[in-house]
Amino acid sequence: MSLLKMRDIVKSFNGVTVLRGVNLTVEEGTVHALLGENGAGKSTLMNVLTGVYTRDGGTIEFDGKVIGDITIRQSEQLGIAFVHQELNLFNDLKVYENIFLGKEYANRFGKLDKKKMIAETRQLFQELGVEIDPTELAENLTTSQKQLLEISKALFFKAKLLILDEPTTALNTEEINHLFGIINNLKKKGTSFIFISHKMPEIFELSDRYTVFRNGEFIKEGNISEVTPESVTKLMVGDGYDNKSVYQERPVGETVLKLKNFSGPGFHDVSLEVKKGQIIGLTGLQGAGSSEVLQCMFGYVQPSGGEMEIHGKKAEHYSIHTMMKAGIAMLPSNRKENSVIPDMSLLENMYLSEHTLSAFKMHINKKKEKEKFENYRSMLNIKAENSSAPILSLSGGNQQKVFIAKWLNTDAQILLFDNPTQGIDVGAKAEIYRLILELAKQGKTILINTLEIPEIQKVADFCAVFYNGSIIKILRHDEIDETTVMLYSTNAVKSQEVKG
Amino acid sequence: MSAKEVKDGLSLKKIGRFCGEYSFVLVFILIFIVYVLTCHGLTWAGVMNIFRHSAVVGIIALGMGLICLTGEIDLSVGSMLALDGGFSVVIFNMTDSIALTLLFALTFGAVCGLINGFLVGYVKMPAFIVTLATMLIFRSFAQYFCQRIDKTLLGGGSSVYRMSREMTSYDAIYGFGNGKAFTLPIVGIILILLTVLFVYISTSTKYGKKIYAVGSNEKGAKMSGINASLIKVSVFTIAGLLTGVAAFLWISMNASADPATTGSSYEMYAIAAVVLGGISMSGGRGKCIGIFFGAMSYTIIDKIIVALKMDSLINDAIKGIILILVIMIQIAGPQLKEKMAARKKMQRS
Repeated sequence: MSLLKMRDIVKSFNGVTVLRGVNLTVEEGTVHALLGENGAGKSTLMNVLTGVYTRDGGTIEFDGKVIGDITIRQSEQLGIAFVHQELNLFNDLKVYENIFLGKEYANRFGKLDKKKMIAETRQLFQELGVEIDPTELAENLTTSQKQLLEISKALFFKAKLLILDEPTTALNTEEINHLFGIINNLKKKGTSFIFISHKMPEIFELSDRYTVFRNGEFIKEGNISEVTPESVTKLMVGDGYDNKSVYQERPVGETVLKLKNFSGPGFHDVSLEVKKGQIIGLTGLQGAGSSEVLQCMFGYVQPSGGEMEIHGKKAEHYSIHTMMKAGIAMLPSNRKENSVIPDMSLLENMYLSEHTLSAFKMHINKKKEKEKFENYRSMLNIKAENSSAPILSLSGGNQQKVFIAKWLNTDAQILLFDNPTQGIDVGAKAEIYRLILELAKQGKTILINTLEIPEIQKVADFCAVFYNGSIIKILRHDEIDETTVMLYSTNAVKSQEVKG
Repeated sequence: MSAKEVKDGLSLKKIGRFCGEYSFVLVFILIFIVYVLTCHGLTWAGVMNIFRHSAVVGIIALGMGLICLTGEIDLSVGSMLALDGGFSVVIFNMTDSIALTLLFALTFGAVCGLINGFLVGYVKMPAFIVTLATMLIFRSFAQYFCQRIDKTLLGGGSSVYRMSREMTSYDAIYGFGNGKAFTLPIVGIILILLTVLFVYISTSTKYGKKIYAVGSNEKGAKMSGINASLIKVSVFTIAGLLTGVAAFLWISMNASADPATTGSSYEMYAIAAVVLGGISMSGGRGKCIGIFFGAMSYTIIDKIIVALKMDSLINDAIKGIILILVIMIQIAGPQLKEKMAARKKMQRS
C-alpha cells in the first residue's frame, strides 16, 4: 500500500520555477531513494511535504488522507519527520530534553517529571540499540550520535515516514553500518524512509525503490534492483553526462602560491605549491579541513603555524584587506550568509570589494560602473533585467556569477572558490565550470574546494584530498575519480588496497 | 489583458512602490495638511519657524540615521548634547571666541562619539548597553560640573550654563543662532546643507555603500574586505560630531544650556525621526532624505498641539501614537499584500 502519494507538485520562488509538476510515491515499509543532482528539487519537495513551504499546485495524499496546506507542526502530527542534514538539535539542552522539547511531561503545577522522561528515553534507546546517555548534553555527542538522536526523536513520536537528508555525510564506515542496521530493523516494523544521498554504494545497499528528478522535473521511478549506478547517474545528469569533455591541458607559469606546513584552526601541516594558471581541487569530508585552509589563506582566520608565500613573498599579516591587496580573492561557501548583501542591487554587490581597494577616491562614478557591469554581464552571461535589480531577484547561479564578477573586478590573480556551485542548477553549474577553465586559460590561478568529485574531475589539474585536517593524497588529473577520492577521504586506503 | 490594462497595472505598481519607499513624504504631507487647517492658514514665517525648530533634532537624527543603517543604536546623543553644549558655553565664557567654541563643540562631540564607537566596534559590546551607560555618564557629568565650576565661567547662572552677556562676541553668536539669511533661519539652512551632504554621502560615495553593506549583512561585508568595526566606529564618531554641531546651534539659539533638561528625550526623538523617515532599525535599508522629513513632521506635531491650545504634556503621547501607526502600516502593509497575492494564486490554481 502507498503511504505517500505526491502528484504534480509545482513550486516557484520569485518567479523561478523549482518544481515543475513532480510525482513521488512511497510504499509502506520501504526505503525510497530520492535521487538527483544538487538543485534538482529534492530538498524543495521535502520542504513542501513537511510544511516549510506551501506548494503552488498539486496534491498530496498521506496515509489515505488528502492533505491541504499544512504547518510544520501539523506534518509532525501526521507522522512525517525530517532529519535534516544540518541537525536541528539544541546543544545547550540534555539529550532527553531535546527529545521531549515542547512535549514535556509535567504535573499539575508545571513541574517537569524528569525521571519519567529520562526512563522513557533510556527505554527507547534500548529498543533501538542506541548507546547514548539520556542526561548527557547534546553538545557532547558525536555527529553520528546526534544523527541517531534525531532519528530516535522522530520515532518516539510515532513517525510513519522519516526523511533522511544525506545522513551519512559526516559518519565513518562503522557508524554508517550501525545506522543502516537500525533503519533495516525499523523497515521491518513498517516504518518508511525517504533517503536522500549522493553516495551510490549506500543507495544501492539500503534502498528498495527510487525516484529520479532532474532540474525540477520528474524523470523516472522504479525498483532499485532494476538499475545500475551508471544508468541512474545518466538519468540524473541527462544528456550532458560527460565528465572530461571540458577539461583542457593548458600551459602553466611560475609558482605563485606556496604553503609550507600551514596550520590553523581545523587543519595542520598543509604544504602545497601552485603554479600560475593551474586549477587545484581541494576535497575531503565535511570538517576535514579543506574549507578551513581557504578561509585562512584569505585572512578570515589567523594561522597558528607554518607560512604562506604569495608571488614569492611571505605573507606577514593575515587580514582580508591585505590578502585582497596581494591579489587573492575568495568566493566563500554559503552564498546567502557570506556573499549576498540582501538590501543591495547587483551593481552595488558587484562593486563592494573594488570600493574597499579604492576607498580614497570617495565619489562613485555610476555611469562608468554601469558600463563595466555591462561588460561583465556579456562576458559571464549574467541573466538579469538591469544593473539596479535587487540581488535577491536573481537565481543562485546568476548571483554567483555576479560575485565572480565582483572579484574579477578587483584584478585578483589567485581565486579561492569554496563550494562555488552550492545550490545552483545544473545548467548554471556547467557554465561556472566553463568559466573557471576560461579564467585559468587567461592566467588566473584557481583553488576550488568542493565535496562533489565529478566537478573536480571536470576542471582540476590536481586534487588534494584532505583527511582529518591535512592533505592525505594529491591526485593527478587522470587519477581523479569518485571511488579513489572517497577511499582517501575516508582514510580507507590503509585497510583496503586501492583497486585499479 | 490588453496593452492598456498592462500599462495601467504597471503605473499603479509604480505608484505603490513609490508610496512604499517614500512613505515619509506621505506622512509629512498629511501632518502638514493638518497643520495648515489647524493653524489658520499657511504663513512664510510659520513655515520658517518649523525649520528653525527642526534644526537641532534634525541634525542629531542625521547621525542617528547612519548608526541605524549599520544596525546599531545610540541612546547617548541627548545627554551628549547637554554636556557638549554646557562645556562649550564654558569655553565661550573663557575665550570669548566663536571659532574656538565651535571647534571645541565639534571636537568634544566627536570624541564622545568615538568612545561609543570604540566600545561597540572593537570591544564588540552591544550598542544599546554602551550608549545607555554613556547616556547616564554624560548627563551626570553635565550636572556635576555645573555645580563645581566657578560661577563666573557659568556666566552668572546658578544651575545652568549661561553665556556671559559681557563677552564682546555675545551678540554675534546669538545673532547667528537667531538670525536669518534671505528670510530663512540660518540654523535651518545648516540643517538643509547637512541633509544634502549626508544624502550625497549615503547614495554616491563608497563609504556610504559600506555603511549599508555592514547593516545589511555584516559577515558578507567583511568577506568583501570591508572593515566592519572601523565603519561602526566612524558612524558613531560622525554622530558625535553632528551632535557637536547641534550643541553649538543650541547654545547660539538659547544662549544657555540647562544640564538637567537640555536634550532630554532627544535620543528618542532622533530615533523616531529616523524610523518615521523609513530607515530600518535592523540596518541596511532606508534613505537619509527621510530623516529630514521625519524630523520636520515631529516639529509640526508640536506646532499643531500649540495651535489647538492642548496641554503640552499630551505632546509625547500623540507623537508616540503616530509613530506606532506609521510603523504598523509599514510593517503590516507588505505582509497583507503578500497574503493577498498568495490567496489569489491559490484561487487561480
